[in-house]
Formats: sequence, C-alpha cells, structure tokens
Amino acid sequence: MIGMSEELRLLEGMARDFALKELVEGREERDRYPFAPLFEEVLAKAHEVGFFSILSPEEAGGAAEPVQALCLVLEELCREDASLGGAVFTAALSRELLRQAGSEEDLKEACAGTASPREALPAFPSFHNPSDTPLSLRAVEEGGAYRLTGKAEYVVLGNVASRALLPAGSADGGWSLYLVDLRGEGVEIGEPVLSLGLHACPAVDLLLHGAPGELVGEEGKGEVYFEAAVDRLSVAAAAASCGVMKGSFETALDYARQRIQGGREIVNWSEVRMILSSMAVRTKAAEMLVRGAAAAVDAASPGWALASRAAALQVQEAATEVTCDGIQLLGGNGYMQDYGQEKRFRDAKQLQALLGMAPLRKLRYIRRVVDGERPWA
Amino acid sequence: MSRKGESSLLLREFPDFAETMQGLAAMERMPKGVVEECREAVALARRFNRTVARNYALELDRRMQEDPTYLPWELVEEANRWGFFTMWIPKLFGGKGWSLSSIAPFVEELASECLAITNLIGVHYFGFSILAATWNVRLIDMISREVAEGERTGKPCLVSGAVTEPEAGTDAEEVELLARARVRCQARRVEGGYVVNGRKIFISNGHLSTWHILIAYEDLERPDETMIAFAVKNGTPGFSFGRMEKKMGQKGCPASELVFEDCFIPDEYMLVAASRLGEMGLLSRAARKANRGPRELGMQLIDFVVSATRPGVGAMGAGVARGAFELALQFARETEVGGKPLVNHEWAQCLLAEMYVNAALARLSYMEANYANSMHGMARLLGFKPLYYYHRALPTSVFDRFMPAANRRDAVTTAFRLLVMAGQGEEQERVASGWASLAKVAGTDLGVRNCQLALELMGQAGLRHDRRAEKCLRDAKLLQIYEGTNQLNRLNIFKCLVAPAAPEARAFED
Repeated sequence: MIGMSEELRLLEGMARDFALKELVEGREERDRYPFAPLFEEVLAKAHEVGFFSILSPEEAGGAAEPVQALCLVLEELCREDASLGGAVFTAALSRELLRQAGSEEDLKEACAGTASPREALPAFPSFHNPSDTPLSLRAVEEGGAYRLTGKAEYVVLGNVASRALLPAGSADGGWSLYLVDLRGEGVEIGEPVLSLGLHACPAVDLLLHGAPGELVGEEGKGEVYFEAAVDRLSVAAAAASCGVMKGSFETALDYARQRIQGGREIVNWSEVRMILSSMAVRTKAAEMLVRGAAAAVDAASPGWALASRAAALQVQEAATEVTCDGIQLLGGNGYMQDYGQEKRFRDAKQLQALLGMAPLRKLRYIRRVVDGERPWA
Repeated sequence: MSRKGESSLLLREFPDFAETMQGLAAMERMPKGVVEECREAVALARRFNRTVARNYALELDRRMQEDPTYLPWELVEEANRWGFFTMWIPKLFGGKGWSLSSIAPFVEELASECLAITNLIGVHYFGFSILAATWNVRLIDMISREVAEGERTGKPCLVSGAVTEPEAGTDAEEVELLARARVRCQARRVEGGYVVNGRKIFISNGHLSTWHILIAYEDLERPDETMIAFAVKNGTPGFSFGRMEKKMGQKGCPASELVFEDCFIPDEYMLVAASRLGEMGLLSRAARKANRGPRELGMQLIDFVVSATRPGVGAMGAGVARGAFELALQFARETEVGGKPLVNHEWAQCLLAEMYVNAALARLSYMEANYANSMHGMARLLGFKPLYYYHRALPTSVFDRFMPAANRRDAVTTAFRLLVMAGQGEEQERVASGWASLAKVAGTDLGVRNCQLALELMGQAGLRHDRRAEKCLRDAKLLQIYEGTNQLNRLNIFKCLVAPAAPEARAFED
C-alpha cells in the first residue's frame, strides 16, 4: 500500500508468515472445538509474538503500535483462520477499554503476566454493546469493594482467560466495567457456547454470585469508555472481516481455475467471472476502506471516529455476501468442511456481530451525524 | 379478424399470458379436494413439528457436530411411523396417494422448523421422483410396495437418488452440458444386464436408504445420448457406501458417497435407457413424431424430475425464510432496546415486514411452479378430475387387489410412457421446468436472505446454537446449491422462459 511505513510492512509480512505457518494446517480440526481440543499452542505462540498486546504501551509490556498495525495483523490472520483473529480482537478491545478508563495500574497488571496467554487475554463479551439491552449483571458496593451478581452472557475467552472485564449495571441506571478473577469465588463458568463461527475463539456464559469485582475507571462511565473504544477499534473489526473476504476470494479463484464443468474451466464461464469480479471488487473496496480508516484513526484526521465505524458496518456486511458467493463458486464442495469456505461464511457472519447489533450501530452512527458530528471535513 | 381472435393473439405475445399465470389456469382445472389435502398436510406437518421436530432438531444438529458419522435412524423410524414415506406415492403403487400439490406446502411447514429433518423426509421423494420419471411401472410398483411394507413393519425402506459425481455437478443437470461433461459412472452392457463402475457423491440419505435410483452412462464419450437409470438395492455385490460428507448444515440428513465397483445389475433392475429408445416399439414411433431422440429423452427425464423437485426446494426456502422470520419476531418481542420492546421500534417493524414479504414471495413462487407442474409435469394425469376422484375415493385395498399384477405387465409401462412421456409437449416441458427453476432460485435466495437479516437483527443472540437462528443460516445455504446451483437454474430460466423472446439466443453455449 502506498504510504505504508517500512515497519508496518515488516509487521504485515510477519503476520502473513505466522498465519501460513500456524493457521493453515489443522484448521478444520481446530474448528471442531468444543468437540476437539482448544488450540492452546497457537494461542501461546500468538502471545509470544505479541499479537495480544499490539496497541498496549511499552511500559505495560505492549508494542505501542498504531491501530493500522493491529488491522494488518488481523487481516492477515483472518485470511487463514478468523478464530485467532477473534481472540486478538477481544484482547485488543478489553485492553483498549482499560486504557480508555485510564486504569494505568490495571493495564500494567493485566499485562504483567506476560508469560501466560491466559493472563494476557482479558475475556470480554465482545459481540455486545452493553448499552444496547438491559444488563442482567449488577454490581453492589460494600465498604469500598464491589460484588457482582447475575448472568454475563457470551463472554469471549471466558473459559480461557484468567480474568474477565465485565459490564455490570450500577444503582444510578448506568453501567460500569469491572475486572473479575475468573478463578475466584462466586464465579460459575458455563460450557463453551456452541456458535455459528469462530469456533476456536470460544465464548461462555458466566453466572456470578457476589463475585468480587475491581471497578475500572469511574463508576457509571462504562458507556463512555465503550463508545471511545468502539471509535478506535471498529476499523479493526472491519480488518478481520476483510481478511476473511480475501481468503474466500483466493480460494474461490483457485478452485475456479481448476474445476471443469461443461468441458472447460469454470473460470472461463462468464457468469462465474461476474461473481468472481463482484467478490474481488468488494474485497478490494474493503481493503481500501480499512486502510484509509485505520490511517485516519492513527492520524486523528477529521471524522476519524465515524470513518472507523462506517468501515465496520460496510465491510462486515460485504463480508457476509462475499463469503456466501465464496461457497457458491465451489458448489457442493464449498458447502463441505474440506475447502474452508463454509467456515469463512460462518466466521464472516459471526464477525458482523462484533461490537453489538449491526442495526443499532447504524442508528448510533447516524445519531452522531444528526447531532452535528461531521463525517468528513 | 374477430375481437376474440385478436385478443388471443395479443395474449400469446411475450410474455405469454397463460405462461405467466399458472395459478389462474390451474384454478379451473384443479379438483377441489386438493385444497382440503393441502390444509390437512400443513396441519399434519405442524403437529409433527410440535411433537417431534421442535425438541429434536437442535439436539440432532449438536450431535452431528460432535460425531459427523452419526446416522439418525431414530428420526427415520419416527418419520416412518408418521407415514411420511408413502404419503405421496400413488395408491396405484401401494402408497397413500396424497395429491402431489400438497407436498410443497407440507415441506414449507416442516422447513420452518428444521431443514435437515425436512430434507431427510423430502429427499426420499427426490429418489422416488427419478424412479417415477422413468415410468417403469413394474419397478415403481415393486419398490413402492417395499416402502409401504417397511411402513407396516416398522423397518423403514427409503429411496435415494444418485446423480451427482465428483466431476459432474452442474453438468449432470442439463444435457447440453452433459455432452461435454467428464462423467465417470459407466454402465457396460453384458450378458443379462450391466456392469457399473464409478462413484456418486453428495447423495442425500444414501446411508439411510434401501433403494438407490442411479443415473449412469453407457458411453462416457456421449453421456448426453446414453443416459441410463437403474434401481440398486443395498447388498448388491459391487455396491458399497463410501464416506459421509461433513456439511456446514442440514447435518441431520447424511450426504453419502456411493461406490460401484464392477457392480453387476441384472436387466430387470434397469429402469430406462435413452439408447434403447429404438427398441421401444410404439413409444419410439411416438418419440420420433415428437422429435425426441435419446438426448431429448434424457432431458425430458431430467425435466420430469426437477419440475417436481425444484418447487419443493423453493418450498424449503420459503420454510426457512419463515423460520428465520419467526425467530426474529420472537427476539424483537422479548428484547428491550432503549427502554421499550424492540418490536415497537419502527425500523424493526419495517425489517420484520420485509422478512414477511420475503417468505410470502417465496411461497407464491413455489405455488405457481406447483401449478405448472401439476398441469404439465410427469404426474399431470393424476390431476385430471375424474382420475383424481377415482384415485382418492377408492381405498388402497382395492388397488392392492388388482394393481400389482397389472403393473408387472410391460404393456402397462408402455401405455403410461405413451401417455406421460410421448404425451408431454415440448411447451409443457419448457414451462414446467422454467417455473420450477424460478421457484427454486426465488425461494432459496429469499430463504438465505431472511436468515442473514435475522442474524443481523439478533446480534449476539443470533450466533448461539441454542437460539436456533444460526442453524437456519447454515442449513439454508445448501438450498442455493443442490437441485442445480442457482446459477444453473438461472440459465435454465433463461432457456425455458426468456429465450422464447430471443429466438437467436443460445443457452449453455457461452
């Protein structure tokens, strides 16, 4: 990409090599989770190379990279297996929330256990905006300490991480973020929730019975931190979807070159070309959107937050369509697990739900514009 | 020219009025009893959904994710107890003889709950329809009576249809493509029968079926002119099951590989052979008169089948469009957003309305195709009022007394073939096939669309297996692929319904 720094180019190459080396072989078996073992080894390697703390400041053990770097890594990983992308995104989101809350101490602590990916991966319900629907989880203060009671649904990595960052309702009607020790008292961890996609990036329901929680930032300001994190990381969610689109297109093109029907390679059927072209165009547009928005976020250009959010809405939806075509071009083979296309279709639809219900994200976007925020200069 | 004559000419201009208004034309011909049968079929499907499918669908899907080689015999047995495998087999052959028009609404209803269960039941009729399309009355009778016997004894006897090959998916659906296809499943003529070699893949219900209606080719260089169909029973030496596919959805209905290694099939199990048209006496003369050679006969066989089965797949699309809509509606009623139920947000109401429209459009499409097939397809005689009422009123026992002996006679096969095959005009084949493809494309695209919309609305809840919506999406995607990909079906719509307005156009020659 024009204007990409040497450093970013190196990082992109590194992520590409990692994906090819670690994420291609055994993908189908890993995706059988929870009916196959979790890919702990891959998680450990991803942690080792720093994928779970790309944005974190150096003093907290992170690489202090720009959002563009996170996007490149997510794109490359998701091109091969979006499950790891889901873990990387969730780690980035929970750390970003801690950062937004100004909880430097919490952040350091969260990164302190750099030896173990469990410590580095604070679990978070990353497919939900806690402001969208009423929360079941409530926090009660008792002598300066907080205890959490209720259900936290679909907490991503909740059965992998040692801690979770959980939104809980407070007395004033708002909500706040709490760090909860998942191995501590009063925490009941459910079975992995069987889900549409990202099988190897599991989510669980948590039942909390007066579990101790450490307040992150100020009480009642959860929504502020969350929306600020969404401003910065929506584009990263888009990057994950963009990676899945690339993988789907590449596989479809390879197949179309080899598969013969009607006496010729199907790549030479003009309708197949039409579908391939539509996939390629939407994927290229997604790449440009992601890179443009990520650069805008890092440069804090005018309208950067809306750019980031627009990229997510647009690219996530396009990914669900492109991966659907990605199956279609392989016909029956695309529907079978052997070619990876059905997984990409499921993963793309799963990724569309990152950061909360898409229609509500659309409404939030336009509310900000209606309220006067300018999408462009 | 008289005014009436002028009107009739005007109406024949493209798009031909009668062709675009299948339901209107069918109304005056359709026996009233069909309406009652459709009502009963839908009520029966609702009863089955409530008592069996609702609780079992998720459990089965989960189980298949855990063990992709699991065979759901308990479901086959349950459906067998409900009598589903003989409902649409004519009484002439020992079945319950429900009107074929009632199968699609039944399928929609089942599909609104679970597509895997629907396919497991419905695909038996895909196998049966290939068998029926050959109008080999002796074998139709024999196999149908085994299915009925299996229902009586509680030992299910299902029929699968084996068409797709590893290197021929789309190609197997259209003779123009078949002419250039790399098919591998060959039937070689030997003393007293045929020796078959080759593999068939993605055969729904393969592992669960007793009989397999196999399409093979006598000359692999000329598959379009040498299509041949057999009935192969489990246990036939040289025939075995291969792998079970690991599908994204519709997991409860196995997709099997069928393997034929020097499999000898005696003449008596050969259903029909395009190459032997010349030996069929009266029939070959009728076929010549209708300009049908071996190749056209092959296409007619394909069209007989797909004109009956593609509206069924469209109905599955309508069903899943409804299923997804119903889940979205339920979610909108239960979920509070911004201090009020989601269902009271205007945008959500518009979205739900759109989903309702999609399901309705899918239903309208398959009903039109259903009418077209009942007037023009392979079972059109059964829709003829006197025959319909005679067939409906007489108890099965009366048929059982007389029909088996009659059905064994070659003359009966010839008579049926003369009436149904030779009696079907080119126009009829074209219209039935075109509408079937239209219903298939519309219904399945709308079905997938509604699943996408439901998941978009439901966010995190839509991703969870225990909330059902994600399974709808996984299951629905297959509908756009089997019974001819929607791309092949679009080309067939062009060939059948659009090309009459562009006589210079050539389909399948790009």
